[in-house]
Amino acid sequence: MGKEEKIIVHVDADLKSIIPRFFELRCADLDLINRNIEKGDYETIRRIGHSMKGAGGGYGFDYISEIGVAIELAAKEHNTEDIRRWVDELSVYLKKIEVLYDE
Amino acid sequence: MSILVVDDSEDVRLLIKTFLNSAGYKDILLADSALEALALLDIPCEGLKSAPSKKKNLDVDIILLDVVMPEMDGIEFCRIVKASEQHKDIPIVMTTAIDESKLLEVAFDSGAIDYLSKPLNKIELLARVRSILKLKKETDQRKARELELVELNRALFSANERLKELSSLDGLTGISNRRGFDERLEEEWNRGRRSVTPLSLILLDIDFFKFYNDTYGHLAGDECLISVANSFKKTLHRPADSLARYGGEEFAVILPETNEEGALKIAEDLRKAAESMGLQHETSKVADHVTVSLGTATMIPSEGSAPSDLIDAADKALYRAKEEGRNRVKAALQQEENT
Repeated sequence: MGKEEKIIVHVDADLKSIIPRFFELRCADLDLINRNIEKGDYETIRRIGHSMKGAGGGYGFDYISEIGVAIELAAKEHNTEDIRRWVDELSVYLKKIEVLYDE
Repeated sequence: MSILVVDDSEDVRLLIKTFLNSAGYKDILLADSALEALALLDIPCEGLKSAPSKKKNLDVDIILLDVVMPEMDGIEFCRIVKASEQHKDIPIVMTTAIDESKLLEVAFDSGAIDYLSKPLNKIELLARVRSILKLKKETDQRKARELELVELNRALFSANERLKELSSLDGLTGISNRRGFDERLEEEWNRGRRSVTPLSLILLDIDFFKFYNDTYGHLAGDECLISVANSFKKTLHRPADSLARYGGEEFAVILPETNEEGALKIAEDLRKAAESMGLQHETSKVADHVTVSLGTATMIPSEGSAPSDLIDAADKALYRAKEEGRNRVKAALQQEENT
């Protein structure tokens, strides 16, 4: 993914009011995962990945669900390298998203 | 109508609430844990110290429940709700990630009616909620109808009981009528036969009652019958003794487990009770007040005899009481009881 490239995601217009909160929570997830990598708390990281997996697609962000799956798996394996890689991926992805609301 | 969403993920709670709101469901309750949901439903549970909500014991029509949650999971929550008499009929839909499908069997075993897989799909969620709410509404209506039917049945049963009671009561005096008497005599006859105990019967007549009616009128005659019945009721103390209006001015008393001596004593008490009313009867040929003549009969009910034999014997004794001057008691003779 190039840095300038925008990723258009179509989202149900009914969700307009809760999308900002969704992004806030993803940023909080990024912080929380990073802190727990330091602490080696893989269970917390696994849970965050699990929640991301369950939530992302419902909002229209299928790729966030996929990242959630990957983080959950990496946490189960205590694979810090993969966790970091997916955290970075999420961070970049969040910056590139441009939401288009489908009426 | 309200929908309770239980999920530890804020994302999912918000998403479901927004989807439901968009379809017009406005009363959505959110709980971030099974314990909070139990408190909302006012279901007592160990480890539940204080209720986080003031709005308690809500009328919830459907619960959308996450299976995997910390502290208490959806399965345990579901079991607790299904064990609550008040809440067991609330339909519970489990929400679960695809890879948790192995939990589904346990979820259904615990009482869930359906499930939705995560990530949630708006159309699927709304279709599922709509059909379950429709089912819930139909179930509630059916339950209400059933309850109504149970009530109606109860009312019908007690009306029937009352009717049965009324049909065996004499409208004027309030004591048993002939029908009630026949039923009771049959019962006591059978009881006496089983227990091989004597059964006595008193038949009695108000003396010169036709003259009483002719002298004082039929309304006064009715009053006289009521007074006599009341004085007899007061005289008969044993619960098993049964007083009935046998015919116009004729009364009958069934005396279970009573021998001839006992029957004669009670009959004499009744005679005195009628006399002591001091009800004026100027056209009576035996006294200037109302008197009665009584015949008693006593038998040990057996295979070879019938209740009608007891009635016949008492009737013959009554006839003799009248023949011998009225205002007296006569017991049936041995041969009267044997015929």
